Amino acid sequence: MTLGRTQAVALQGLLGSVIDIECDIADGIPTYSLLGLPDASLQESRDRVRAALTNTGQKWPNKKVTVSLSPAWLPKSGPGFDVAIALALLVAEGILPQAPLADAVVLGELSLDGAIRPVRGVLPSLIAGLKSGIRRAIVPRANLGEAQLLEDLEILAFDHLSEIYRWLTTGEYDFPEADAYQEEVSELLDFADVAGQPRARFAAEVAATGGHHLLLIGPPGAGKTMIASRLPTILPPLTQEESLEVTAIHSISDGVNSRSAMSRVAPIIAPHHSASRASIVGGGGRTIVPGAISLANRGVLFIDEAPECAAGILDSLRQPLESGSINIARQVGSVTFPAKFLLVLAANPCPCGKFTGKGHGCTCSSLQVRRYLGKLSGPLMDRIDIRVTVDPVGRVDLDSRDLGESSAVIRSRVIAARAVAAERFKDQPWKLNSEIPARALRLDFRPEKAAMNFLHDELDKERITARGLHKTIRLAWTLADLEGHQLPTLTDVQRAFFLRDGMEY
Amino acid sequence: MNTRENRLMIAAHHEAGAPRIAEELRLYGVNRVVDGIPVDLRADPLKVLEELEKSGIAFLIPEDVDWPSQLNDLAVPPIGIFVKGNIEALALQSLAIVGTRNPTPYGIRAAQEFAAGFVDREWAIVSGGAYGIDSAAHKGALIAEGATIAVTASGLDSLYPAGNQRLFEEILENGAIISEYFPGVVARPHRFLVRNRLIAALSKATLVVEAAFRSGSLRTARDAAELARPVMAIPGPITSPTSEGCHRLIGERSAELVTSIADAHELITSLA
Repeated sequence: MTLGRTQAVALQGLLGSVIDIECDIADGIPTYSLLGLPDASLQESRDRVRAALTNTGQKWPNKKVTVSLSPAWLPKSGPGFDVAIALALLVAEGILPQAPLADAVVLGELSLDGAIRPVRGVLPSLIAGLKSGIRRAIVPRANLGEAQLLEDLEILAFDHLSEIYRWLTTGEYDFPEADAYQEEVSELLDFADVAGQPRARFAAEVAATGGHHLLLIGPPGAGKTMIASRLPTILPPLTQEESLEVTAIHSISDGVNSRSAMSRVAPIIAPHHSASRASIVGGGGRTIVPGAISLANRGVLFIDEAPECAAGILDSLRQPLESGSINIARQVGSVTFPAKFLLVLAANPCPCGKFTGKGHGCTCSSLQVRRYLGKLSGPLMDRIDIRVTVDPVGRVDLDSRDLGESSAVIRSRVIAARAVAAERFKDQPWKLNSEIPARALRLDFRPEKAAMNFLHDELDKERITARGLHKTIRLAWTLADLEGHQLPTLTDVQRAFFLRDGMEY
Repeated sequence: MNTRENRLMIAAHHEAGAPRIAEELRLYGVNRVVDGIPVDLRADPLKVLEELEKSGIAFLIPEDVDWPSQLNDLAVPPIGIFVKGNIEALALQSLAIVGTRNPTPYGIRAAQEFAAGFVDREWAIVSGGAYGIDSAAHKGALIAEGATIAVTASGLDSLYPAGNQRLFEEILENGAIISEYFPGVVARPHRFLVRNRLIAALSKATLVVEAAFRSGSLRTARDAAELARPVMAIPGPITSPTSEGCHRLIGERSAELVTSIADAHELITSLA
């Protein structure tokens, strides 16, 4: 046989297209040509494939080798085609059989000694393959965890090219041990570590229950970051579907394997305040990669020192906050990533951070203090439901031997309250209180009469806007769910009102 | 030339709130002070009055019947005041509400509540037109459909801060904006302190809602105390830096602690 075929997947965003790889070996001057819009890293595959083949005991054909990646119009990039090209070449030489590879996709990068390296985007690639009728996948061993999430595919994972030869020629294959779903959150982080801070703890619980965005204001060292980083420990575990979605996005981003593929824990992404806009919303040249907002999908996006962010960065969050997704258009095409996240912002009270307590150590002018938090104001703050002041930890809190509630206890309350909300919304397209549309708030999801009177009173006194009124009601629903009230009571609404403002209640 | 024109000339030539000019006026009268202004530097009072009238600004002098006589209690009374809006509002008994430009939601709420509560009791609210507590106090009075008076530290042609333009327009509908500064004079830090004594003198009592440890509002409170007018302060959490000034006033017994509108009202009416 002088023609070999294998299949691989080219990804654009989360969407993949199955690529047919054909290799033809013909008489003629020994050359190698790779067709079908490969980028530089894919063009380099020639040298990797050649070295890997010769180093695993195969001979490079001294003939005219043509490798074609089709559809030819689709730009392809990355080293993930190496193994597929190598196998197609060996099939064309007649060394390996064609049949076992007929309905398989092959993913993997080759190192010069024939070892198979992990690649990005295995999960979305395989989902695309599954949709176009693929039944079998050959993946790098390091990507097995991700690949296993698809139970309808026969997954074969290899560490080395020679293992694939063995399997194709003798049928021998060692099944690697399957990873188990990781349900439990890291034991290193727990809300019991947070000393004191009853208000901020409560705010975190409410945020986790209803999906309400949160702003923490407090001096350095008060525990803002501690609280935010423990939010995933009180969020309910992801469903299998959500977990797939999260793993797929993490799989195509740069940090390969930074998160266990089997993890059911909500992700938390904490970009530094100096992050560029592209790193927050996503972007890139030839390959469009998801940004922090998409990596935080179904989890928490935490921005510490939010007022220090460059102008426009925070405002670029507004559209994804509304739509739950982000569309990125570049020269190579446009890509939509999901971006449904819980936004947690933290801020110091002033540039020097000491405008707290007696405020004597603060060196900022009153204009600086006003401007600092003013950077957060406007349309973005309108989307923040809870604003809470985190006071410095007192010595009693630090000295206290009885720790606060553990994450597990809080989490069980969150799950129970979410179940109540899910039952209420079972005929609706939304799941969380923060997602109730304004129209529904006016019709089916009104709080008690007394509570509405209170809100209308505040509206008359211009202390709340119409949008603020709706936000308050959504928050009140979450408080009612936590308290076990059928309808938000006057107290629920009042607490929600003060929680929104960051006032004592 | 009449007294109004003379006083106008003095106001145009001398910085407001200067003790020396006030002393000269008291000892020697208006004419002698005018004589002290070099002839070539004197403004043409008739032309100025015409221009003021065109921009809806009245120049009020102590000899006028509309003159708020409580200003005469000042050690350094104004040469005259420029008034925009409803002059009658100056005759109402009024409460000054002052505080930080960086209030917490608690302070904003308290300022609005007290302003509205006193308006309901037929009082006018005096404040400085700045951001923060000042704005909240004016707004509270406006929401309760009462009169409110802003005392600014700049000329009435360029109100400071510019971001409060809408608020100033609303204040003018029923209340007044006053200043002892000649139109064209811009706001400067020292002028706020000079202006604060007017706020204290114009009102029957002063309420400090939220003030940091170093705050101009504390100066207003001290000015009010020097005029033997009641000073009140609203407490806040001891952890809040914006309440530190109020706590200091209360601790030094310079201000009465008030926790409700009724308290405050009773306190003022019993003292006055």
